[in-house]
Amino acid sequence: MATPTRTYAESEADALGERVSRNPRPALIWVGVSAFLLLLEAGAAVEFLLNVLGDFLRAVPQVGRVQAVVNLQEAAGNVPTLLSRETIPNRGYYNGQEYVGTFMGLAPGTAWQFRVGLIYAYSFALLAWTWVGYDWYRTHYRVADWTPRDDVVDRLRSHGWGLFGLAVVFMFFVLVVFAPAVSPTTVAANLADPYGHTMTYWTGSGTEEITVGQANLGAQSQGTPQENVGPWSYDKYGRFHPFGTLPSGKDLFTFIAHGARISLIIGLLSVGLSASVALILALVSAYYKGAVDLSVVLISDAVMGMPQLLLLIMLTVILSGTWIGKIYSGAFVLALIFAGTGWPAMWRSFRGPALQVSEQEWVDAAKAFGQSPTAIMRKHMLPYITGYLLVYGSMTLGGAIIAIAGLSFLGLGVNPPTPEWGRAVNAGQDYVATSSWHISLIPGILITLVVTGFNALGDGIRDAIDPESDSAGGEGEAGGRGGGA
Amino acid sequence: MKRLKYVLKRVLMAFPVLWLGTSMTWYVIYQGPVDPATNLLSSQERLTEAKVEAAREQLGLNRPPLEHYVDWTSSLFVLDLGQTWLIYPGSNVGALVVDFLPRTVWLGFWSVLIAVFVGIPLGFYAGVRSNTVADYIASISGIVWRAMPNFWLAVILLSLLVGSESLLGFDWDTLLVDLPSGVTGNPGLSYMAGDPLALFTQPGETLAAIKKILPAALVLGSASMGNEMRIGRTAVLETKNEQYVDFARAKGVSNRAIVWKHVFRNALIPLVPIVTTEAFLLIGGSVLVESVFGINGMGKLFFDAAIQGDLPLVGSLMFVFIVLLLVINIVQDILYTLIDPRVGYDAN
Repeated sequence: MATPTRTYAESEADALGERVSRNPRPALIWVGVSAFLLLLEAGAAVEFLLNVLGDFLRAVPQVGRVQAVVNLQEAAGNVPTLLSRETIPNRGYYNGQEYVGTFMGLAPGTAWQFRVGLIYAYSFALLAWTWVGYDWYRTHYRVADWTPRDDVVDRLRSHGWGLFGLAVVFMFFVLVVFAPAVSPTTVAANLADPYGHTMTYWTGSGTEEITVGQANLGAQSQGTPQENVGPWSYDKYGRFHPFGTLPSGKDLFTFIAHGARISLIIGLLSVGLSASVALILALVSAYYKGAVDLSVVLISDAVMGMPQLLLLIMLTVILSGTWIGKIYSGAFVLALIFAGTGWPAMWRSFRGPALQVSEQEWVDAAKAFGQSPTAIMRKHMLPYITGYLLVYGSMTLGGAIIAIAGLSFLGLGVNPPTPEWGRAVNAGQDYVATSSWHISLIPGILITLVVTGFNALGDGIRDAIDPESDSAGGEGEAGGRGGGA
Repeated sequence: MKRLKYVLKRVLMAFPVLWLGTSMTWYVIYQGPVDPATNLLSSQERLTEAKVEAAREQLGLNRPPLEHYVDWTSSLFVLDLGQTWLIYPGSNVGALVVDFLPRTVWLGFWSVLIAVFVGIPLGFYAGVRSNTVADYIASISGIVWRAMPNFWLAVILLSLLVGSESLLGFDWDTLLVDLPSGVTGNPGLSYMAGDPLALFTQPGETLAAIKKILPAALVLGSASMGNEMRIGRTAVLETKNEQYVDFARAKGVSNRAIVWKHVFRNALIPLVPIVTTEAFLLIGGSVLVESVFGINGMGKLFFDAAIQGDLPLVGSLMFVFIVLLLVINIVQDILYTLIDPRVGYDAN
């Protein structure tokens, strides 16, 4: 590719539509394949969105259950999806000769593995295809041969540690989005209402039907070799438990997959809120400096002067009885509290870069030109701090996951019976040294892995956007630790 | 003079922070959605109007909010912390703090010490030998160590030590120093009451108290340890490339002298603020660690008060924590100006 003799902005070139119509082949292929990939899972995606919406609406007392959403949810459930538990069922029973009801008569464990394997293969294919799309856009349709962002992307691509983080975070997201499909059983049948659901099992001489609740009583993990269903094993009723069972006999994998959902939703909500507050305050305080800056310093120091975890405990206790504390099993108020206590740490991290940008000549020029303060902040300052938003957002998200788990370990925060990782650690804490070691150990290892992943991704992005930066900054690090949980 | 001015400025800045933090606490507790007075009564007593009124009267809640606020904050500022209602009912909060604080300080002290003496040397070692297998192992374990949740680590470590005889092949309770009370519980600090020098004159008791707190301190210090390791490594890597190191090398100074005299001393500077910043994590983490290890410290006291709804106690304790953190911060600033004289000249 020849270096263009003159540079010109994207806006001066033809519209994207025209560039595409001049060479439509790559775009058509890409759109076609993406549409095919998305159609396979359209039902699941719509169901996930409606689920979140329905949960939120149900939690607000004034609204309650909205029938329209429930109907839509049911309709979405009927859309055929390739990678669902209906297409590749893993729950069935042995009737003496073969498995009935499982996918192609496979053993339940094998069927489950097949489904999970397909889901992850699909997700990574989708990710790879997205990258191909960006790559094709770069080579076929973008006006500029090179932009500074290309360097950032290339640096991230060659950052092994950051890629490891990206992979872990992506797998965590897949677990969250596909929680109902990757779980060996459903929340309704196994966790929420086990006595309202029945199942068939092979007694050794014939098949019998019992409620799931009764089967759970026979599949408890109580620490003795007799009463224990460990990881990667079948219980007496022919059910496969990839992570074993809880002391109550409920399936640990289902618990963890759905617990991941609530952790991530709280985490994203709180980091989104606190990052927005921090970003706005950083821009305003860097632009106006002086008294504005000083007052934000004081307020943030006062909030940070109270240990975050203690503040979280105090506020969850006080707000748990209010209507807002009941929304989404207490998750919503937790996210608000996180945002309220977490923004000062983020603001500290944004303040430095924001102050640096505000000293630049182009900001002075824009001021002299008579541009309004909001326009200057938005157009001339914001683009230079958004990178840091990703870095600290990623790290704070890891910290939030630890803190949420810590609170639910203490019995605060997300109300039972909504699954949460910390509660699994708590349930298993008497069994660590026994044969039921899996109950505490597995959730803890997963938390460690996910938090390491978020930190690694943050490191990778930081090194990518600012290769000169100190790779072990002090101030922001505390934010990535969930207040010491 | 400039340094003195810097420290004075930091002290002055602490007052508005203390006032704001206390005011926020007051607002949350006394103007929040939960009535602290009814919270203190049993469900039976809540039904009788007179009892509720009496409780409100005692907490001063029937007075105008502003008056109550001024009264509450001013009594805190003269260190009158009030009394407890549900936790150890009727005792003086000040006395309770005097009773509970030493255990938390003991825990915090050892967790900082362990973190410093394990994390920094490991980080320096990794930095000196950067990009070797040893460096990768140390760096990765530091990062993973940092990401482990304290409460989980505490649960695992506790179970390992309780079952140490069958799991690890030795009995923790009798290893080196005998601990008849087992792994959990309070460290025996009472021998030092009224005689702080007993710390040195009665080494047997001191060792037992250290051993008792060691597992909890290890867990509490874990995050800081990983942090200090990372920062120590970076600091060494940066100092290694400084010109004065090259110059010393050109002059023929031995490798050992370069590492000890020129690299380490300068690499220590960025670590000082890190050690004290971690006080936040230590105080927050103490709630979980003390709960798991059954240590009756400040964190557990705060947690019990919050869970049982003794909101006046929660408020007083929050004030104590704010003061504690501010004092630690000021000490850090003073230390920092002593170690690095450049501080304060360009600080904002």
